[in-house]
Amino acid sequence: MTEINPIRRELLKNALVTIADNALVMVTRTARTANVKNSMDFSSAICTAAGALAAQGMAVPVHLGVVMPALKGCMDHFGADIAEGDVLASNDPYSGCSHLNDIFTFKPIHVDGRRVAFVSLVLHHTDLGGRVAGGNAADSQEIWEEGLRIPPVKLRDAGRENAAVFGIIASNSRVPDRVIGDLRAQLAALDEAGREVEAIARRMGADAFDAYLADLIRHAEELTRGAIAALPDGSVEFEEWNDDDGAGHGPIRLHCRLTKRGDEVEVDYSGTQDDTGGAVHCNWEFAVSCTYAALRTVLPEEVPNNAGLYRPIKVIGRPGSFVSVQYPAAVGSRGQIGFRLRSIVLGALARLLPGRMPACAGGSEFAIVASGVQKTAEGASRRFLHLEFHNNTGLGGGPDADGQDAGPYCIGNLANVPVELIESENPIRVERYAFIPDSGGDGQYRGALGLRRDYRFLTDGVRVQVRSDRYTSRPWGIFGGGPGAGGRLVANPGTAREEALSSKFIRGFGAGDVLSVTMAAAGGYGPAEQRDRAAIEADIRQGKMTPAHAARVYGYRAEASDPEQAA
Amino acid sequence: MTAQARTGGYRLGVDIGGTFTDIVVIDAHGTVFSKKLLSTPHDYSEGIEAGVRDLLAELGVPAGDIVEFVHATTVATNTIIERKGARVALVTTEGFRDVLEIARFRTPRLYDIRYRKHDPLVSRELRFEVAGRLGADGEEVSPLDEAALDGIAEAIRTSGVESVAVTFINAHVDPRHEARAAALLRERLPGLMITASSELVPQQGEYERTSTTVVNAYLRPIVTAYVRSLQRRLDHMGITAPLMIMQSSGGIAPAALVADQPITIIESGPAAGVLGSARLSRHLDLGDVLVFDMGGTTAKATLTEAGDYTVSPETEVGGGPMLGARMVRGAGYPVQVPTIDIAEVGAGGGSLAANDGAGGLLVGPRSAGSTPGPIAYRRGGTQPTVTDANLVLGYLNPGVLVGGELTLDTDAARRAFGDLAASLRLEATETAEGVHRIANATMLRAIRSVSSEKGRDPSQFTLLAIGGNGPVHACSLAEDAGMDKVVIPPVAGLFSALGMLFADVEHQLVASFYRRFDETRGSDLAEATAGLVARGRDLLATQGFAGAAQDIRVLVDVKYAGQTAPLTVELDAGPAAFEGATPAVAADPVFAEIAEKFHALHDQTFGYASPQEPLQFVALRAICRGVPEAPRMPGQCLRGNEKVPPAIDREAHFAGHGWHRAQVLGRAALPDAAGDWRPGPIIVEEYDTTCVIPPGWEARRDGWNNIHARRVG
Repeated sequence: MTEINPIRRELLKNALVTIADNALVMVTRTARTANVKNSMDFSSAICTAAGALAAQGMAVPVHLGVVMPALKGCMDHFGADIAEGDVLASNDPYSGCSHLNDIFTFKPIHVDGRRVAFVSLVLHHTDLGGRVAGGNAADSQEIWEEGLRIPPVKLRDAGRENAAVFGIIASNSRVPDRVIGDLRAQLAALDEAGREVEAIARRMGADAFDAYLADLIRHAEELTRGAIAALPDGSVEFEEWNDDDGAGHGPIRLHCRLTKRGDEVEVDYSGTQDDTGGAVHCNWEFAVSCTYAALRTVLPEEVPNNAGLYRPIKVIGRPGSFVSVQYPAAVGSRGQIGFRLRSIVLGALARLLPGRMPACAGGSEFAIVASGVQKTAEGASRRFLHLEFHNNTGLGGGPDADGQDAGPYCIGNLANVPVELIESENPIRVERYAFIPDSGGDGQYRGALGLRRDYRFLTDGVRVQVRSDRYTSRPWGIFGGGPGAGGRLVANPGTAREEALSSKFIRGFGAGDVLSVTMAAAGGYGPAEQRDRAAIEADIRQGKMTPAHAARVYGYRAEASDPEQAA
Repeated sequence: MTAQARTGGYRLGVDIGGTFTDIVVIDAHGTVFSKKLLSTPHDYSEGIEAGVRDLLAELGVPAGDIVEFVHATTVATNTIIERKGARVALVTTEGFRDVLEIARFRTPRLYDIRYRKHDPLVSRELRFEVAGRLGADGEEVSPLDEAALDGIAEAIRTSGVESVAVTFINAHVDPRHEARAAALLRERLPGLMITASSELVPQQGEYERTSTTVVNAYLRPIVTAYVRSLQRRLDHMGITAPLMIMQSSGGIAPAALVADQPITIIESGPAAGVLGSARLSRHLDLGDVLVFDMGGTTAKATLTEAGDYTVSPETEVGGGPMLGARMVRGAGYPVQVPTIDIAEVGAGGGSLAANDGAGGLLVGPRSAGSTPGPIAYRRGGTQPTVTDANLVLGYLNPGVLVGGELTLDTDAARRAFGDLAASLRLEATETAEGVHRIANATMLRAIRSVSSEKGRDPSQFTLLAIGGNGPVHACSLAEDAGMDKVVIPPVAGLFSALGMLFADVEHQLVASFYRRFDETRGSDLAEATAGLVARGRDLLATQGFAGAAQDIRVLVDVKYAGQTAPLTVELDAGPAAFEGATPAVAADPVFAEIAEKFHALHDQTFGYASPQEPLQFVALRAICRGVPEAPRMPGQCLRGNEKVPPAIDREAHFAGHGWHRAQVLGRAALPDAAGDWRPGPIIVEEYDTTCVIPPGWEARRDGWNNIHARRVG
């Protein structure tokens, strides 16, 4: 029995997180795809020999709970057939993974022939085939439409690369060089992390290493329970809607009951409606992961991200509901429902903890894939593929300030893509990227403004797939605050060919066509009549609110002595 | 008077930090004299004048004997942090005035829903749009609306703005609209300072380039006034040496030039420390070196290889150190300007130690800073810090802050560790040792991040330790990093002030060149490079460097098409690489040289190369250096005017060794004959720092007066 010294434990924790973070730094530097760096859609982890998460380095909060179920899928499949030098991989949502673009890789680490850990790296790959480029069509119905499904396989078998799997992946991707390049970057970082974990385990001895990993998890659980216990007991509900399921049915009701008792929290999604098809719903593993990420926002920063954090949290749902879909449902666009899950859990927390939480964040969960062929200056043809996520717009109002316009909202920590980068690599010109005045949810503390982004296509035959939401289910206000303005998509605005588009579509655009995207604004907090006059005036001065809106909603009139004010 | 330093006489370096102003004077024989005094934040130049006058008076050196005056300053960074910059207007392309405020949506704090990014430095009513658009290839999509600029100029004139930033979409490809707009605004607004993005270091990324231009505009009036005030004081004191300022890229430049481009001096002080360390490493032939700089609130790590450091094309200002911030950016304002690649973490002597409530020991990220500071400083600190731990462990002189006037309350520090230890069910000494090592673990993250990014293994490196706390932690940190060799230069605690005197006049120029390799004509590449080189030659000529004294290096940023981060390769022949350029596409020999070097560097950095994949040019760079007449580094570096307390041996506690009686001595007492190493434990007390050599290590001094420590057995 190893006696645990808290200093050694802290040093080990630091070392493991450093290894995990460095694996991500390495992937960022080596990956081929702009999307890898811009979306930071990856995470790294170190798990115990039995598959429990011990440390995680990550860039995207929704990954907080995804590693363990994916590893379990691989361990269940291979059982005792996991050996030194293997690298296991899978992207199968029906073996614990979350959607096909995320390829999980796991490397067992051995000391003196005994397995002491797994190192893990998951990375969103740009394209693994399927009916549309990028693979995230919202209207798919079955998993086979979404691209290459990789069940648990060995990418390396006892150190020997499985060339067949690489070949299958390459031949199923529209951009094989990028995907194989990214996969090699992923493996190189996994190997490096593996070497370092092995060195530590060897130095400590396998028994002590095991005991300390277990205690890291126990310690995180103790910190989590302490933090939960400090919150008031209670049971609250929250419901919200997704506009549709991506395949024409909607609105979709999402519901949770959050019960906090003592040092535990239970989140029950049983009230969420049944699955209706499409691809914006998610499997249960992803729903649970999003729940952890949402609850994590009320836990102190020093709680380490490992399996101990999960233990006091119980998540309940119904198989076959919209958040626990069954084989062979498509799940490519499940990110959208991740946003909505976070929204209802934070909404419930706002009711449980008045004065601590803001109104709903803004954003239309906008994703665009535009592809086609462009002519180069030399007259040659070149395929282009533009993939961009622009999920959020800004922060919800409250509890003690306006929601910051374009304030970063963390669940996917995605950067917007530079306009100049888009234009240099694709026949696309971005003609506007701007705040929309008056759009923020009204209230004592208003929500962040919505955003508009206009794309002009410069070549014919551009195939565009868009996935968005929040047309009708607008970001909610709270305690009397109003909802943020909804999202909207229009082709060729202000022309004879103007056309309103649905929130999710796949269609062609020709040279000169414009796609104008309105992204939803955030919700407001508290009654509008309590808004500070100086805040209204600052908004008017900055052109973020029109005098007409200020008069109509806030009853604001410029002082007679200061006629400039209303200008 | 040109920037060419005269030889002989006294050279003077001044480094201003937030708390202290460090002054170093070095004479022609390499003897160093130093002074440390509190900074004067209301006007930093006041403290400089007072300190310089005192030191020169003490040394009996007439001001006229100062042949060189080099300065590193935090004035740019502090102006941003304290939001004391100029009132700025931004003029930009129609449809994009919100780019500055929208920024990039990144948060460095993944679960903090209360996190707010910094507000933009230009409020929306001062952000103006003008019609006119160039495409990504530089072709004109719609003409510049020159008439609209009249109205904008008028609005700016009446708004109390002091400084204007001009950034147009795609101006990094072709600046003609932006340059025209800037020219018109200059005509109409003669009293204002106008910065156009294409006059700085224009690179792709409209937000980053707009932010860069705005930061420059925001700082320009303040830095200009500061430089003028300092120059007046130098004139007043009778110092006729030209005022040179340390840039973030590692070179020095005349103050007047820096005043127009203050973005170049944001990391002035840290760059001086790295530059000095890199020059010293090359002089000593140390090979691969990790420069470790630990102060009161932060620790920094930088990798140098054979005396070369990496310069990254972008930095962030005003974000503060944050673990992971190098990867998850968004904490500060991005600035596209060549900056020595320094990783920084929030761990220093002031980092606080605490029980996490579940029997865990936390060190940082909270810091006691300089006020209230460590408990032992008796300035109101109540929570134990890393410095208190070092005191309890016997590393620091228990009586007084070495070289300082402050008497220390070591007993209070011991009591605090007793309490913390009891709450963790540990021993006090064990807890202090834990705090020391957990701080090391945090600093190790900075070291690992710079080495991993380069794919290098730190165990092969020498650790060169500077900063007030660097030499205290150097050997134990080296052990934790698996390193066996440590070097502690003289004046380590004030090394930035010394290091800047080793720097050359240097200008780093960048031009965007975003083209596919296989679609680029040799003559186009040559022409773009020639423009850059000509600018560099002009700059050097105005500073007194002509002909062979102009050293121009040409570098090219290249990536695989579709990859995010480019790598930089240098052309062996410099500007001559383009002689005989032809209009043929990708056919000149220089293309083959670039491709070959890129693939090799990619393989070295990332472990693989894909020679069959298409390449993409990203940018061209010229590093333009003025070759000095005399060596910048002295042949040795002895200490003058040092005041230290009497050396009395004391007990100190070392991980894995327990309590030992450590020899306490001054640097000069270490053996300096080759092969004569003295075994630890040794504690070397100096004016500006304390060097701790634990058991299991041995130390000696070299002819230059550096301490070398190495692990034995």
